[in-house]
Amino acid sequence: MGEKQSNPGEILRDTLDMLILRALKRHPLHGYAIAEFIEQTSEEVLRVEEGALYPALHRLELRGWLISEWGISENNRRAKYYRLTAAGRKQLAEEAARWGRLTAAIARVMETA
Amino acid sequence: MSQWLSSAWLRAKALFKRRQFDRDLEDELRFHLVMREEKLKAAGLDPEEARYASRRRFGNRASLQETCREMWVFVWLEDLWQDLRYALRAMRKNPGFTAVVVVTLALGIGASTAVFSVVDPLLFRRLPYPKDDQLVSVGYLGPVDNNEFNVVSSYFDWRQGPFKSLTAMRPGVGCDAMIGDTPRRINCFSVAANFLQTFGVSPVLGRDFNPEDDRPHAPTVALLSYGFWQRSFGGDAKALGKTLVVDDDPVQIIGVLPKSFEMPQLGEIDVMLPARLDASLPRSANSSSFLRTFARLPEGMSIEQAHERLLPIFNATADKDVPRELRSEVRLVVRSLRDRQIQEVKLSSWMLLGSVLALLLAACANVANLMLARALARRQELAMRTALGAGRGRLIRQTLTESLIFGLLGGAAGCATAWALLRLCVGLAPGGMLRLEHARIDLRVLLFALAGSLGAALLFGMAPALEQPRAEALAGWHVAGTARTLFRKALVSAQVAISLVLLAGASLLLRSLWKLQSQPLGFQPEHVITASFTLRRHRYQPATAQVSFFDELEARLKQIPGGGYFALSDSIPPRGSMGRPYSNLRIAGHPPVAPDGGMVEFRWVTPEYFRALGIPILAGRAFEEGERASGESPLILSATLARRLFGNENPLGQQIDLEASGRWSPVVGVAADIKNNGLTDPPDPEYYRLRMHNAHTVGSSGVALFRTSLDPGTLERWVRKEFAAMDPSLPVTVETLDQRVDRFRERPRFVAALVGLFAALGLLLAAVGLYGVLSFLVARQTREIGVRMAIGARPLDIALHIQKYAGIWTGIGVAVGLAGSFALARTIRGLLFEVSPNDPVSLLASATVLVVTAVLAAWIPSHRAARIDPVIALRNE
Repeated sequence: MGEKQSNPGEILRDTLDMLILRALKRHPLHGYAIAEFIEQTSEEVLRVEEGALYPALHRLELRGWLISEWGISENNRRAKYYRLTAAGRKQLAEEAARWGRLTAAIARVMETA
Repeated sequence: MSQWLSSAWLRAKALFKRRQFDRDLEDELRFHLVMREEKLKAAGLDPEEARYASRRRFGNRASLQETCREMWVFVWLEDLWQDLRYALRAMRKNPGFTAVVVVTLALGIGASTAVFSVVDPLLFRRLPYPKDDQLVSVGYLGPVDNNEFNVVSSYFDWRQGPFKSLTAMRPGVGCDAMIGDTPRRINCFSVAANFLQTFGVSPVLGRDFNPEDDRPHAPTVALLSYGFWQRSFGGDAKALGKTLVVDDDPVQIIGVLPKSFEMPQLGEIDVMLPARLDASLPRSANSSSFLRTFARLPEGMSIEQAHERLLPIFNATADKDVPRELRSEVRLVVRSLRDRQIQEVKLSSWMLLGSVLALLLAACANVANLMLARALARRQELAMRTALGAGRGRLIRQTLTESLIFGLLGGAAGCATAWALLRLCVGLAPGGMLRLEHARIDLRVLLFALAGSLGAALLFGMAPALEQPRAEALAGWHVAGTARTLFRKALVSAQVAISLVLLAGASLLLRSLWKLQSQPLGFQPEHVITASFTLRRHRYQPATAQVSFFDELEARLKQIPGGGYFALSDSIPPRGSMGRPYSNLRIAGHPPVAPDGGMVEFRWVTPEYFRALGIPILAGRAFEEGERASGESPLILSATLARRLFGNENPLGQQIDLEASGRWSPVVGVAADIKNNGLTDPPDPEYYRLRMHNAHTVGSSGVALFRTSLDPGTLERWVRKEFAAMDPSLPVTVETLDQRVDRFRERPRFVAALVGLFAALGLLLAAVGLYGVLSFLVARQTREIGVRMAIGARPLDIALHIQKYAGIWTGIGVAVGLAGSFALARTIRGLLFEVSPNDPVSLLASATVLVVTAVLAAWIPSHRAARIDPVIALRNE
């Protein structure tokens, strides 16, 4: 919905949502794999705690951007896989664009003399 | 919006597969845990370490599970479910409280609903005719009859009047019909051709009468009532066109009346025939032919306007048709049909309704009090919950849910109570309660009563939550809430007051009933058995046939097995008999009698009549058997009539011309007055004539009287045998005179019983209310009482202290109640018999009963207070 939140927790939460959506761009993943993806791709800078991850995943599912289904993991266990919906892809694109504009703007400000 | 919809849909799915969902959630989180554990193991930690490390990093799994789970639930639904369970648990833990509240509500709602269902058809519901407010009953009102009546000649003239439609019916007579081969006595009414049209009713089968059918010598057609059609023809449509034999005449069935049809004077009807009024007959014949007339007013005309417009026509016809002596006592009546129907029962209906509404009020006050008491007791709990973080909204919602449950339970129990009470009412009610078959549990009434008590429960259940729980309450200290306790005390006093009014009303009615039962009748009904019958005119066509029937009957019935007295009359008290205007009487050698003396009754009796009924002869003698063949027809006057006609003069031997016919009858005796106008109305003056062995004196109805010590069953069998020997097809009604007289007491007994029941219930409610409040008071003041006892008060002092509270509230209630009784008793004067509305005995008795009940109700709490151990009390908080 794109409201500007002034609460830092909220900002981080939205950003986490964006990261999760991005993680699922290629193919469906289960919760643990999403956390791993973010951790590894950010070279251990961003660490996602379970306490934030799962509420986010469920919230995204309820908003209709993800769809979940149960499957078998690589080590033969039952796991819940998440997948982007069409609405989810659209949301990802929007948020990515917004993020890009935000970081560019911040960079401009920081780089002026 | 669509996002909300899809999330709602997902949530709904989770709701239905709750257990699966919970398992999935747990699995998902555990999977994550296991994956991390394996990763750490792969990184080199030993298995135990890996598990612990993984768990540590995971954090509080339960809390996380809860957080995730909460996203998926409908919050309000979960809260409601939680509230319900909590409320039900609390109710189970306090079964006494729950029971009292539910029973109280059930009583209040049930009783008021049942009574309303009974009086609604009488007082409020529309009559089963379209535009029923346009329908009126019109006619002459005179001393001849309680209701207005008309005559055929006037009816024809009044048709020129202001009404949209005027119609007539003959007063009902029984008639005999042959159903198959069995003769049965049914109810026939003869009506004008436009009768159904005037009321706006169409037959449900076949056709209505048309003017052709109403011509004087047209072939007879008939309409059947729905019930009669069902019973005798099995509801077969082929009944149309069939012939029914009524009073030995074949009539053709042309239609069936609708199921909901009612006769305007609420008589039972089986067959409707055309009246075939003949305008060509001489006026003198038509002016003694009686009718009841009804009319429909034109649009927009009021009853007063109709009365005004009809008056000149009324005056013209009255001068022609009403006998001169009665003319001044007769006036025009135009009144709504409803008024005519409910005149007799209006007062008792309103009284019943008023009493039961008072009961409902008392019940609501009781529930309110109980709720308030409980709310105050739970203040500590509420304060605790607020301190733990519950919002006010949440607390209010929870108390509201509880009240709602109470209301619903009470309402459901109330429905059951109402249904049971209604069955009881219908079963016990005397036949005179009109329209009782239409009394049913009216949905709108039930909803109303339910809403009312729900509203009360909600209001007072919510009161405590609305107040912000204070910190002191948390500590258990009793915060003074003077305003609220005053309100509760006022409620108790109000209940006491209502109870007193109900008790006073009930005791007035009961005293009235007792007076009715014990008043002297003027005759001795014990050991008297009656057999009443009506000869079919057509069977005994020549008048001599009737005479010989009665002669033979007398000869047979005189031989009572076991001995006793036998008499024959055309009617017996306390019912009235035939009447004639007082002004018709002429006394030989005396000036004409006063013109407006009302009606005089007379009966045709055999000589043993007075002995059979135990009526004392005050002067002269009774009739003698020898007088029955001679030409003179002797006369016996009632004491009142003798006094009226002759004052202090000796009536014996005087000659009286009874019918202005020139034939004089000598007075041979004076009999004591008896009740001949029902039990409550003053008796009419009466005279007795001797049944002679000639046709002129004998009508077609008769009542045989037997004063005997034989048991009623045996006598009945013998009587029926004798009747059957003479005419097996004659229906005979045999009952004791006690039974007949008792029927007049049925309605007052019924009303008194009901009001008595309400009064008893009201008393119970007041007692329970008082008990509840006092118990609560004692519990609250435990510490204070402990202190008092510690510093020297005796148990008796404490008990008296509590009783004093009770006394004050009861005293106020009694005072208000007495004032109320004074004000209201006047309205029920019409229902009382020889009892003044402000009868001090009744009021005193009611007040005493109430005070005693209050003392008893206060007994246990005061006893409990007196037994408080000061040590425990002081240590308690």
